[in-house]
Amino acid sequence: MAKIELSNISHSYNPNDLNPTYALNPFSMTWENGKRYAILGPSGCGKTTMLNIVSGLVKPSKGNVLFDDNDVTNLITEERNIAQVFQFPVIYSTMTVFDNLAFPLRCRNFSEKKIEERVKSVSDTLRLSTFLNMPARKLTADQKQLISLGRGLVREDVAAVLMDEPLTVIDPDLKFRLRRNLKEINEEYKTTLVYVTHDQNEAMTFADNIIVMDQGEIVQVGLPKDLFERPKTTFVGYFIGSPAMNLFETQLHSDNSVKINDTTIKTNTNLSKLKNNNIKLGIRSEFVKVAKDESENLLEVNIQKIEDFGNFKLLTAKMGQLTIKSKINREIEISNNTIKLHFPAEKCCVYQNNKLI
Amino acid sequence: MEKLYKFLKYTFIILWTVFIVAPFLWAVSTSFKDFQSVNSKVTYIPWLDFEPTLEGWRVLVKSPARGGVDIVEPYFNSIFVTCTASLISIILGTLAAYALSRFTFKAGFVRNNDITFFFISQRIMPPIVLSIPFFIFLSTIGLLDSLLGLVVVYIVLLMPIAVWIMVDFFNRVPKELDETALIDGCNPYQAFYKVVLPNSIPGLIVAGMFCIIFGWIDFFFAFILTFTEVQLLPVKVVALNSSITPWWSLSASALISVAPLIIVAFVVERYLSKGNLSGALK
Repeated sequence: MAKIELSNISHSYNPNDLNPTYALNPFSMTWENGKRYAILGPSGCGKTTMLNIVSGLVKPSKGNVLFDDNDVTNLITEERNIAQVFQFPVIYSTMTVFDNLAFPLRCRNFSEKKIEERVKSVSDTLRLSTFLNMPARKLTADQKQLISLGRGLVREDVAAVLMDEPLTVIDPDLKFRLRRNLKEINEEYKTTLVYVTHDQNEAMTFADNIIVMDQGEIVQVGLPKDLFERPKTTFVGYFIGSPAMNLFETQLHSDNSVKINDTTIKTNTNLSKLKNNNIKLGIRSEFVKVAKDESENLLEVNIQKIEDFGNFKLLTAKMGQLTIKSKINREIEISNNTIKLHFPAEKCCVYQNNKLI
Repeated sequence: MEKLYKFLKYTFIILWTVFIVAPFLWAVSTSFKDFQSVNSKVTYIPWLDFEPTLEGWRVLVKSPARGGVDIVEPYFNSIFVTCTASLISIILGTLAAYALSRFTFKAGFVRNNDITFFFISQRIMPPIVLSIPFFIFLSTIGLLDSLLGLVVVYIVLLMPIAVWIMVDFFNRVPKELDETALIDGCNPYQAFYKVVLPNSIPGLIVAGMFCIIFGWIDFFFAFILTFTEVQLLPVKVVALNSSITPWWSLSASALISVAPLIIVAFVVERYLSKGNLSGALK
């Protein structure tokens, strides 16, 4: 267990070319001991590269990796005491399940007694106890992935367990249980867990802290609530939440209000220092409500469609060219074709050049 | 329709079996004949058509001083050269193949694929091209007409086969397997022999089989690079021929020279039929 610090890390897979392309742009970050982190972002945004840099499979072009303030940048993987689980199950197919789980401990010369004790404990947690003497290759895909996971968890002193979309091959029911298991393991052993995913629900339910990445950049690091309510860029707003955040091209109107078409929308943001170009207003569909007795921040819209999702209704409406989505309570009956929607000022986010003001 | 298909299928299988097995049966029959039974008229079945004799087989183990040809020594020479060269080729070839599969090499315009092709190109050349260089090379280092010299030459000939098969095999073993082993605490060498190698046994078997076959059947280099001190089986078998062709001892020696390959084939066939080698062979 360790605090992991990434200091001015950047990485290119073609550093010697004239114009190297960077898979990771320079960044610094600290992963506190014992916390759960999720790295979220679309495919190819540099998530896996970041993990591989931490585990030592990739040496960063620039920057340093520190475990508990010790520089490990030049240490090879085996010397870092880190566990990594890949997207698809990797098992030692010539060994039994027990030998698979025991392998990391055997490589590190643990006593057989200790090995047996640890393997038993981990296999109980992952419900693999009944398969211990079976050849690992005979198990199903999700059981194999549990073995991969188990090999990561079997070492108590591991600096961190890095997981690269580990639950892709596992069916939803087991996925849910495993996520909860991982949380329990984290709480019990205080193991730092880093979880790469492109599934926001997975990230939101699993992590204390979420790191959102896009095109080799870290766009935002924060609590799930912050990411949801105050996305730092329009990308985060778009990427997180279902449906994506409502975003509108707007004009500045006053120090704290903007104009959408001819409607003035007040915000809680000080806009006095902004230039009037490329301004966007963003609001989550969860916060857009059907107006009752509010007097301002109202938009008159035409309803396009209403979809019933069971636990809520998704209302899609148009105002001129703009499309607005709103999640509304399913008890609300809407009879008119034209209604007024209310944008609460405290939930409105203003972006200039796609960055939150 | 189905019956016709079945009929054709079995007809083909029977014809093919006859085609393959008949020469062997003929050789078995001939090996028990004497001069009379071979040269007077066509004979097939022992005791009915001709009186079987073990003379053809006896000649092979008798020393030349007693009128035999003694293929026992060449037989063991062949076994020694083939097995040693195959083993070394497999070890070196597997290591080379692993490196070619996992690391990126750059030297000018040369890349991994070029190096792999370089290995295979050794087998594309007609062997005669290599005969003079090999001859000069062995005579320079004083290994002409020796078992060790033959082993060296055969390693050169067999290693490309091992590299070729194993590169292809390692390319199919996911890189994550090595990476996982490193993460689990192996150093790169341990990752190779503890994790990657056990997963590559099917590939090793196929590569080994090919090396043994190609080593065992080589006549050309064994003929050119040896004279009197050392002889390998193929050369000795051919040397049996004289003004009167001894069909009986030729047949017997042919049979015992294919015997090891048949044994190898039976052993490997069990793996092949289990599907354990799927992917190891293209």
